[in-house]
Amino acid sequence: MVISKHILGTFDEALTSLRNDLLMMAGLAERSLDRALKGLLQRDDDLCTHAIADDEEIDQLEKQIDKDGFEILLRFQPVASDLRRVISAIKLSPNIERIGDQATNIAKRARKLNRHPPLPEVQMIVPIQAYAMTMFKDSINAYVRENVELARSVCDRDEQLDDMNREANRKLTQRMMEDRDQLRGYFNLILVSRALERVGDHATNISEDAVYAAAAEDIRHQSLTTSV
Amino acid sequence: MPQPEVVEPRDPGAAILLNTEGEPLPLAMEAKNVSMWYGPKRAIDNLSMDMPAKAVTAIIGPSGCGKSTFIRALNRMHELVPHARIEGSVFLHGQNLYASGVDPATVRRRVGMVFQKSNPFPTMSIGENVIVGLRLNGVSDRKFLNERLEQSLRMSALWDEVKDDLHKSGTSLSGGQQQRLCIARALAVEPEVLLMDEPCSALDPIATAKIEELIQGLKTRYTIIIVTHNMQQAGRVSDFTAFFYMGRLIEIGATTKIFTNPNEKQTEDYITGRFG
Amino acid sequence: MPIPRKDHHSWRKFKSAFISGLTFCSAVLVIAPLALVFLHVLKSGVGAINLEFFTHLPKPVGMAGGGMANAIVGTLELLALASVIGIPVGVLGGVFLAEYGTARVNAVLRFIADVLNGVPSIIWGVVVYGLIVLRFKSFSAYAGGLALALIMIPLILRTTEEVILLVPVGYREAALALGIARWKTIIQIVVKTASRGIITGILLALARVGGETAPLLFTAFGNRFWNHDLSEPIAALPLQIFTYAISPYDDWHRQAWAGALILVTGVFCVNVLVRIVTRVRTASA
Repeated sequence: MVISKHILGTFDEALTSLRNDLLMMAGLAERSLDRALKGLLQRDDDLCTHAIADDEEIDQLEKQIDKDGFEILLRFQPVASDLRRVISAIKLSPNIERIGDQATNIAKRARKLNRHPPLPEVQMIVPIQAYAMTMFKDSINAYVRENVELARSVCDRDEQLDDMNREANRKLTQRMMEDRDQLRGYFNLILVSRALERVGDHATNISEDAVYAAAAEDIRHQSLTTSV
Repeated sequence: MPQPEVVEPRDPGAAILLNTEGEPLPLAMEAKNVSMWYGPKRAIDNLSMDMPAKAVTAIIGPSGCGKSTFIRALNRMHELVPHARIEGSVFLHGQNLYASGVDPATVRRRVGMVFQKSNPFPTMSIGENVIVGLRLNGVSDRKFLNERLEQSLRMSALWDEVKDDLHKSGTSLSGGQQQRLCIARALAVEPEVLLMDEPCSALDPIATAKIEELIQGLKTRYTIIIVTHNMQQAGRVSDFTAFFYMGRLIEIGATTKIFTNPNEKQTEDYITGRFG
Repeated sequence: MPIPRKDHHSWRKFKSAFISGLTFCSAVLVIAPLALVFLHVLKSGVGAINLEFFTHLPKPVGMAGGGMANAIVGTLELLALASVIGIPVGVLGGVFLAEYGTARVNAVLRFIADVLNGVPSIIWGVVVYGLIVLRFKSFSAYAGGLALALIMIPLILRTTEEVILLVPVGYREAALALGIARWKTIIQIVVKTASRGIITGILLALARVGGETAPLLFTAFGNRFWNHDLSEPIAALPLQIFTYAISPYDDWHRQAWAGALILVTGVFCVNVLVRIVTRVRTASA
């Protein structure tokens, strides 16, 4: 993120600190998601609890990032690329925080599902999770490495994730009609899938901010004209 | 505020400045292939630049990049320095100011200048200072001089503060007021272009803010070229910004573009404080 | 760093007081002769100061009484003549050196002026004697005035130049940037700003040449009567003092002291005037 050094050392330190907070926050969110899904697949309530506990730290980091970003704007009056990076960091962090919230959501659903006999349909979640996780990781990478191509590819993948979610929805709804005893279980799975679809949306937002930081281009809301 | 744009050929000096409709902006001044020397030392190297009319163009750049030297080409002040030399042309509304037969004093009446250190003449009162440019150029009509006196002081937001003290010495004012007095003095001769060489460097933030506000009002009537080493000031005050480095124009464009996403890496490095 | 001990501090205080005392003594040593001279002149001359001194011509040799009226007026006339020639040349020369010319030419001119400033004043008298007095076969006020002017010119030239160089470049730039012509800038802005300093330089030059005796010896020559024609010899205060002082008459000695007192007082007043001129202008600024 910091290509060459500023003459003012404290400026570089502040920017590095901001970046590290973001990376930490993203890492925690990733781990939460991972744990929540493992908790679901392996029927491990401990993992779910851990996933939920992490959320508080993620929330604190969101506040910290806002504070640090604001202070950088105040103290250093950044311009050009520095300004874009700071603004993007401030806009990024709520998206990561929501991803953390989705992980919590998933963990709570997982706990509910773990009280009942296992459902083979749980496996449907695996590819969706993998896809969404990759999108998230790539979006953070794109921001930190200022990789516009990567960021755009994440945005392009969002449609695919939506399709995967719709497909899972359809199948699970059908199972709900076939097997009324497990209705609640299937319903929870639908919500898990939707949570992962939301993760993809947030990853898309992060990518849009990454493109702005790197290239000063605002690619938001363009899909309204391109998609039908 | 309209967001002007820049069309992108490689030579930054040849950049054509456009308005929001994509039409080229009317220009007050153009510099073409200007080179300037102090004795053997070359200070400006084959620089070409357009300056849009009735707009504020800021020139930024590190110390020694030639910005103060360059604006002295625009009002033919450079040639007053011993052993100074200049080549190239400067056009004011299409007229070459360096054509043979052009009287430098006339040029300086049409292109006025305000300096970094305010310099009201100590032997004259406030009123005398404002109209000295007219009086010493032969104007003696009392009524006209008085009108111009009030008009100039109003334009530099100083009238209300000094209207009862016009007989007092110019040096009895505060720093910020003195600088506004110098601006009034420059405006009294009705120039077309006003050059400002770091006018606020010696002033406190409030005095600076008053002058920046003043500049916004002036640009409806005058073209203003301001040299500043304060980038935030360039951001606040100017419509266009030119970045100079080592006697060359590196980039010129709309101020918002330069400060959000400049084309040249050198510009970016300078404004973000990575060098200079 | 260790805190200095008490005896270090006392030693330093003593050193400081000692040096202060030494410098005070030096100042006294400088001022004392000046004060002594002035007091002696005052004591010796005040007795002969009366109305007759200022209004009467010298009496013939041996007779008591009379005054130095013609000498006082003569000095003033000579100074006026010297000013007419010396001030314009000196000031314009100073302006030229400060504002025009090339570095090399100006360095040469400055050097010449500095050398001329150091020439003993009697030489100027001899020069004018050779050029004017011998040619016209007569001592004259013109010759005396010219000799004094030649002393004044390099003085005024250098002080004018220095004062003009002190005017900040910013004022010149500001005036030129308004489209004011160069010569107008120099006269109306630069010289006007430096005017106090220029006047000071002129006054001090006048005070200096007012007391010159040697150059007047073979130019103005002196006159026991009123001068009615400037191409005739003219009396001057320093000349009169010289004549009376080397005479054997006590009455003339006393009058010489009085003349000296007048001269010294004149110089003193000019210096006070200079101070007033300087201060009054700053008050109105």
